[in-house]
Amino acid sequence: MTPQISTTISTQGTRRLRINHTTKVSYAQPAASSHNEVRMTPLTLPGQTTLDARVTVSPAAATWSYWDYWGTQVTGFDLMDPHADLIITASSLVETHPPGPLPVAPAWAEVTECTAVSRLLEFATSTPRTTVGAELVERAREAAAGLDPHETAVAVSSLVADRVSYLPGTTGVNTSAAEAWDQGAGVCQDIAHLTIALLRGLGLPTRYVSGYLHPEREAELHRPVAGQSHAWIEYWAGDWCGYDPTNRTRADESHVVVGRGRDYDDVTPHKGIYRGVPGGPPEVTVQFTRVA
Amino acid sequence: MADIFDAYALADAWDEMFERPGEVRTAYEPVLAALQPIEPSELRFRADQMARAFTDRGVTYAFAGEERPWPLDLVPRILDALEWDLVQRGVGQRVRALEAYLADAYGHARAFEDGVVPWRLLLNSPHFHRAAHGVEPPGGVRIHVAGIDLVRDEAGDFRVLEDNVRVPSGVSYVIENRRAMTRIFPSLFGEQHVLPVDGYPQKLLAALRAAAPDGTQDPRVVVLTPGPNNAAYFEHALLARLMGVQLVEGHDLVCRSNRVWMRTTRGEVPVHVVYRRLDDDFLDPLHFRPDSVIGCPGIMGAAMAGNVTLANAVGNGIADDKLLYTYVPDLIRYYLAEEPILPNVESYRPEEPGQLEAVLDQIEQLVIKPVDGAGGQGIVIGPKADRDTIERTRKAVIADPRGFIAQRPVALSTSPTLAGERMAPRHIDLRPFAVNDGNDVWVLPGGLTRVALQEGNLIVNSSQGGGSKDTWVLAEGPAVRPAAPTTALPDVAPRQLGPDGTPTVVQEGAQQQ
Repeated sequence: MTPQISTTISTQGTRRLRINHTTKVSYAQPAASSHNEVRMTPLTLPGQTTLDARVTVSPAAATWSYWDYWGTQVTGFDLMDPHADLIITASSLVETHPPGPLPVAPAWAEVTECTAVSRLLEFATSTPRTTVGAELVERAREAAAGLDPHETAVAVSSLVADRVSYLPGTTGVNTSAAEAWDQGAGVCQDIAHLTIALLRGLGLPTRYVSGYLHPEREAELHRPVAGQSHAWIEYWAGDWCGYDPTNRTRADESHVVVGRGRDYDDVTPHKGIYRGVPGGPPEVTVQFTRVA
Repeated sequence: MADIFDAYALADAWDEMFERPGEVRTAYEPVLAALQPIEPSELRFRADQMARAFTDRGVTYAFAGEERPWPLDLVPRILDALEWDLVQRGVGQRVRALEAYLADAYGHARAFEDGVVPWRLLLNSPHFHRAAHGVEPPGGVRIHVAGIDLVRDEAGDFRVLEDNVRVPSGVSYVIENRRAMTRIFPSLFGEQHVLPVDGYPQKLLAALRAAAPDGTQDPRVVVLTPGPNNAAYFEHALLARLMGVQLVEGHDLVCRSNRVWMRTTRGEVPVHVVYRRLDDDFLDPLHFRPDSVIGCPGIMGAAMAGNVTLANAVGNGIADDKLLYTYVPDLIRYYLAEEPILPNVESYRPEEPGQLEAVLDQIEQLVIKPVDGAGGQGIVIGPKADRDTIERTRKAVIADPRGFIAQRPVALSTSPTLAGERMAPRHIDLRPFAVNDGNDVWVLPGGLTRVALQEGNLIVNSSQGGGSKDTWVLAEGPAVRPAAPTTALPDVAPRQLGPDGTPTVVQEGAQQQ
């Protein structure tokens, strides 16, 4: 970023967040070995600068990292000695800025045309997690009749958020979009999957965003607050535009992007294979501290 | 004199041996002269003996749930030097074009940007493994081994039927067929100079070693098999043995610090190249199917980091999709600036506007193939299908046009094949095997000729009841006559008596196990 541009970004709204994301996996019996991949490092993007980020593991292990197809930074490691639990700590310091103005909405025909002749196509095709019935797509079509892509994203997000209430514990990590709709309850992951399914059904390329949401808009400096890892969407309207259907708002300086993909499976924060007996779900805590 | 060829009536196709009834092609003259005087009962006896030898050696295949000896017909399939030159150049060209396509698809994607191949072909393919994106394999090789299926059409021209660049199998049968033929008909090889096939394992090993990660001193190669229950286990074991490398299963390997190691009684030793005979989906439960217990967790990460080479590379399935097949002639022109040496069979893409209607209009006259079918599964041959099958196929194509291609039915060439106690024309194809070491694409002389053993049948896969023939490539120029072996027909298992001294004998050193 050239100095010239940085002066034009208003420091108003800019914030600096320290994020501590701890994942504790406890095995029912010690695991003989495990192989893991972690996607927890925030990206550096036009509205977001990652100043510092590290992933540490206990028991200690050498880690390596690479950028995957989706542009997410991946940390890999293996543990080849028996271990009773595994603690992954991802800490980062990220500066975020308020989003800029939305791009001028393209005509639907232009969206269709661009999608067919580019990689956008992979964000316009349903995946097993983002498949819904034709009747549901029809409802989305009615809700979005006559609207441009920006308005459509908002209308479809509302349709989903009106139907699916945010109720942690009602769905699991493997719940599909269709199941969440039928149940009328879910978490941000389900609401994002449903919104993606419907927007793709209407021909709007949409991707799943994994990251963090700072829970308090006007947080006091240096006071840690508990939060969660979060999921929202980005749709393509000439450029990628973030929207958070769970909170019915544009993705802004409270959102920190870690990875983007077709659905949760492309950006899973922790994926591991271990030799041992099945254990319970991991304990996850995310702590935010606004430092500037 | 009545002989086994007397009643041989040509079918409505190009016959490999006879130009016209009673008029043999030059390349086949010595074979005809040798076979003609043999009594039918003796031929049958030799055929049975060969079957027993195959069973004894474990050269079998599964058909309809039972283990059967590998069916090798006694009449060889012969390609003269000119024909072979064409096949070899055509196969090499095809492999070079598919390599370029894979490098492009997992890299800069020029062919898609330039509109040569539609994006959807790549992005919607279940075989597009994004984990392979950006991986630059040593020497640029992703297709270490290819099997390109050819047929000869009514006019006698070779055409490509399909490409196999994932884990092509069958080369062990080429080696075993030759081994058996030199024992059953040693004298045949005295008449003509047939190019040997026993150099394959060394060529493969050299290519695999050349594919080791940069800077590896004395690379260690292993063959990774799904295990003894796999239909091709015999081949995995044979190749490992002939190459002199370890045959391993997933649990014999371990990934530690993003490198691959093999467990041995002396501790863990590093592995640099894995000739894997497992499908992508089963290779690494961390990256692909999490329920796979035959793979090795972490191996994909090691490959991505360049610490181990997987041969063939992960993600090659985007290049042998039958829909991509229809674009290969364009890919040859685009990447290589050459004209295709071997044409495709004329094909339709039902997914394209207008073509679906064209296919449905004449579905009874076309061959319909699922783009993802392997081993001849799901192929419907319109002219031979009943009403119900046609209707079912029509519905399936309408429901999923991307899932099928349609082709003109080719009357595959025929070759005289022992049926009962006489010769009858049976349809055949040819799978040449190519090995790419990064400098050169080498094509094993001959390849696997498969035979549809039932009269009129056009599907040659062994899983569909097909047989095979020893495939000869004749050396250029006059026959080099080695000392004719005098071995008589053995009355015990023939493998114990070899016609040593002929240039075509498989190395004995590797045989006794």
